[in-house]
Order: sequence, then structure tokens, then C-alpha cells
Amino acid sequence: MIKIENVSKNLGEFFLKDVTLDIGTGEYFMILGPTGAGKTILLEAIAGIYNPDSGKILMDGRDITNIPPRRRSISMVYQDYMLFPHLTVEKNIAFGLKLKKIPTEEIEGKIEDISRMLNIRHLFHRFPGALSGGEKQRIAIARAMVTEPNALLLDEPLSALDTQTREDMRRELKKIHSVTGITIIHVTHSFEEVFSLGDSVAVMSEGMIVQVGRPDDVFRRPNCEFVANFVGVENLFKGNSTINNGISDIDINGSAIVSAACKSGDCTVSIRPEDILISRNKIESSARNSFNGKIVAVIDKGATIKIVADCGIPISAIITRRSLDDMGLREGMSAYLTFKASDVHLM
Amino acid sequence: MSKKWNVSKIKIISIFFSLLLALFILVQIICVVTHTTLPALITSVCSREIRFAIELSLITSLISTILCIIISIPTAYALARYDFFGKSLINTILDAPLALPPLVAGVGLLILFGTTSFGKALAEAGIVFVFTPLGIVIAQFFVNVPFMFRILRGTFQGINPRYEHVAQTLGCTDTQAFWHVTLPLAKNGLLAGSIITWSKGIGEFGAALMLAGATRMKTETLPISLYLNMSCGELNLAIAAATILIIISLGSLFIFERYGGFARVF
Repeated sequence: MIKIENVSKNLGEFFLKDVTLDIGTGEYFMILGPTGAGKTILLEAIAGIYNPDSGKILMDGRDITNIPPRRRSISMVYQDYMLFPHLTVEKNIAFGLKLKKIPTEEIEGKIEDISRMLNIRHLFHRFPGALSGGEKQRIAIARAMVTEPNALLLDEPLSALDTQTREDMRRELKKIHSVTGITIIHVTHSFEEVFSLGDSVAVMSEGMIVQVGRPDDVFRRPNCEFVANFVGVENLFKGNSTINNGISDIDINGSAIVSAACKSGDCTVSIRPEDILISRNKIESSARNSFNGKIVAVIDKGATIKIVADCGIPISAIITRRSLDDMGLREGMSAYLTFKASDVHLM
Repeated sequence: MSKKWNVSKIKIISIFFSLLLALFILVQIICVVTHTTLPALITSVCSREIRFAIELSLITSLISTILCIIISIPTAYALARYDFFGKSLINTILDAPLALPPLVAGVGLLILFGTTSFGKALAEAGIVFVFTPLGIVIAQFFVNVPFMFRILRGTFQGINPRYEHVAQTLGCTDTQAFWHVTLPLAKNGLLAGSIITWSKGIGEFGAALMLAGATRMKTETLPISLYLNMSCGELNLAIAAATILIIISLGSLFIFERYGGFARVF
């Protein structure tokens, strides 16, 4: 649907270098990278805010490189929402439709529909200044979606929200994507978001695309040290959960993990590496999860050491240099990894 | 007691100076407005000459303010949004009239419109600036346009260009994005700029004197009237003009403080 071919753009502080991407119709495409990687300019180039210095952007086979934003039918939601402060919520949402000279009744119908879907009907007569981050985000998405664009570009839509609102919004995005089937390009610096939302992910660093693939593949097989460091910090797995007696039993490729969080069905599991205890022998404790595995990597991270053990699934743990020396752990050795059910997070 | 005095010495001295300064300003304003009696003031304000001065001041300052707005909006927008060759030089030149003494500006305008072939051509076409009310308008415009320009430039710089980007993705041309989004967001700056430009225009003396002269009942604005009547001892008429100027200035200052607090003039 959207094809980006060798696009370069230099804006001084931020830049894109020879970016090539192919985004399929209806795909939920994630762009992952640290601050300053050029993710926002890439979105702006796709939206048409900036013309690239070189390279081409195609939409459905049509060259749109030099077409102005208004004729691309690609909507964009910035991280700081950019709701027009001088207009009410209703007028913000209707902004794009009014420009298209659509009859008033039709406009009303459309904003009614989108507002019901995003649950913002009650905010219509308020001004953006008086709303919470989550509400502003919903309105910005409604304003972008109501024009029925070919693609929706989201610039870090979840990073400015508190934990609970972020979780709600993440579900909302998933719903919007499955209900409307729209192509979404979502920029983030969190691999958890990539894992829970994305069909595909492109990892960006210093204006370049360093790896593209399914989140699972990028996570398991990072193609360079940058990607490994950037995405590999956490234990993330996809699994299937069933609830028994108030706790979740999760099956991950045949390995069974117990979580104190209750959620059934397909889910994403995360365990922070610093919550995992490593021992040479099996220890008796109240922790519900204990795995025996072979140490496949001992990675020096400066102050701490990261140990990766193959327990059927690869699990990473962070320990201090002192612990490493005391236990004499080396690659190839067998070890026990133990962690509490309450430290197993489900998404 | 003695301890308290020790602690707050600097507080007391500094507050004393601020009170002294405020008193000095207040006293000179009161001196002007109480110099005559109220009935005498009313008679003067209603005189043909003062009524003419009020009318001429209002009309010329209104036109020059509108000119300032029309010219400053695109100029300020260009300098706030775009990078182009010579931008910093243009910024400096546009600020120059602020530093230039109005009398000098008036001399420059007089030479431009009175002696150059450009000025003569305009005069032949019927557009005469020298010793006419039109000269007052152009003098006010020249001296005050930097105020409008600087306030608007600051206002536009303070508006995130991403508002326009979003508007464009929603279907606006860049011009529509400016009209529907940026200009409404610049409302406060526009109001503050207009008020200060208008009130400075009403008080403009030096440049107008040079270009338009001080002809009774022809180019007699309020400040010119004040000057003419002061020179020939018509104190009541002079005080009437001064009182009106004080009321306009204080009123404008109040509105400016209220709506334009964010805009930096200097």
C-alpha cells in the first residue's frame, strides 16, 4: 500500500538516510527507535509535510512524492495531539469534513459514529485545554479517522499517558484497527507496544532502517548489536493463558509459566530480567516458577551482567558482577532460574 | 523590634523607591488633569479645534494601524516560519525605526516624498504626503510598524507549526491552514499589537511634524494641537488635548497588559 524507496531528508538536527519500507494494506506497522532516530520525520515525509531530498514514496502504486498532504488522504496524530485550542471538541473533529464541503447532516452522522466508537460523545462542547491526556488522544484519533483516510500515522500515541490510560488506549487502537481495517503506522520507543500491537516492525537508528520483520523475528533474531540492545532488554513471550483458582497458567511453546495476573486467552508475557533469581542448584521457595536451563550467553553490561539461559524459551536475567564471580557461572553451565508469579506481567 | 528592622532593611528601601517612582508618575498625571476646572475642560474639548484634532487623530491612527496589521502579518509570518537568505539582515532593518528618533524618521520621509523623483511622481499622481493628513498616516505607520511586527513575529513563533501540519493532512492548503488555524491562534497577539500600535499612533508627534507640518485645522492631531496651543499660550486647549491623550494611553496600557502579557515588544 505504502512503499518508501530510498528516501533521504536532511533537516539538520534530524535526518532520514536512504529509507526503504514496504507497508502492506491493512497492516499494523510499527516503527521502533530511540529518541532522535528520525521516526517523526519519517511519518511527516509519509504525510507529505516535507518533500524528501531524494527517493520516492508510492501509495497503491501511484507516485505521491510531490503531492501535497491534503491530496494524500493520510491522517497524522502527533504525540502532543495538536488539537486546535480555539475550537470545541466537536469542531475539532469536524474540521476535515467541513473542508471537504460535505453536507452538514452527513458531517453530523460521521462524527456521531466515530465519537461513539471512541466514547467521547460527552466531551463535544468542551475546549481541548480542559481535557486529560487520554481524552485528547481519543479526540485527535477521532479527528484523524473521521475523514476516512487511507492510512493513519501515530507518533508515540501511548508514551505520554499514565499506565492505566495507556493500557485502555492500547486496547482501543487494537479495536480501531480490527474494526476499520485501516493501515496504521505507529511510531514508538517501547518494544512492549511493538509486541502487543504490531504485525510488522521496522527498527530505526540515526535516520536509517536497521531491521524490518515480524516483532517475534526481530526480537529473537536481532541482526545487529544495536537492535539486540534496544529490544533485547526484556523477557517477552507470546502465549496462551488459562485461569485456574485465581492464577493464570500460561503455555509458551510448551513451557508453562504461572502468573498472578488474571487474563485468559492469547496474551503477551513479560518478566523483568532483574526479577529473576539464578542459582546453581534447585532452591525451595514460595516462588511459583522455576526452570532449569543451559546458560547460552554471559553478557557484560558494565555494572551488571546479563545471563541468557535456554529453558525451552530463552530467559534473560540480570545479576551483579559479584554474584557471577561467587557462583562461577559460565556459558554452557546448567542453572536454575526462579521467579515469583507476581513478577510475571500479562498484556 | 530592632531585629525586625535588621531583617527587612533591603525590603523597606526597595519598596520605598518603588513608591517614590510611582508617586512621581502619578503626580505629573494629576498635575495635567487638575490644571483646569472640569467645566473649562469640557468647554475646551467641545471647541471646534479640539474636536477637529480628536477626529483627525482617530482617523489617521486607525488607518495607520490597519496598514501596520496588513503589512505586518505576512512579514512577521515569513520571518517566524521560513529560513531564507538575508533573514537576519531583514530582521535588523525592520527593527531600525524603533531605535531611530522620530524626528530623524520624519526628515527621511520628507526627503523621500518631497525631493526624490519617486515622491514627485506620486505627488503628480495626486498622492501627496508632504504637509497633508496622508503624511500623518505614513509617519505613524513608519514609526509604529516595528511594534506590530515584533509582537506578531513573537506570536507566530510561539505557535507550533505542527498545528498547520495537522490541518494540511486534514485537507487544508497551506494558505487555508494559516487562515483557519494560525491566524485565530494569533488572536491575542494581534489584539495586543493593534492596541499598542493605535495608541502610539495617536501620540505620534516628531515624524508627523516633519512630514505633515503643524498647520492649524489641517494637520492638527492631538499632539500637534497640544504643541501649537502650548506655544501660543492657549493653556486650556493644550490641557484638553493632553487629558485626552492620557486617557487613551492609560486605557490602551490596561488592555495591552491584559491581553498581550506574553508578547515581547523590546
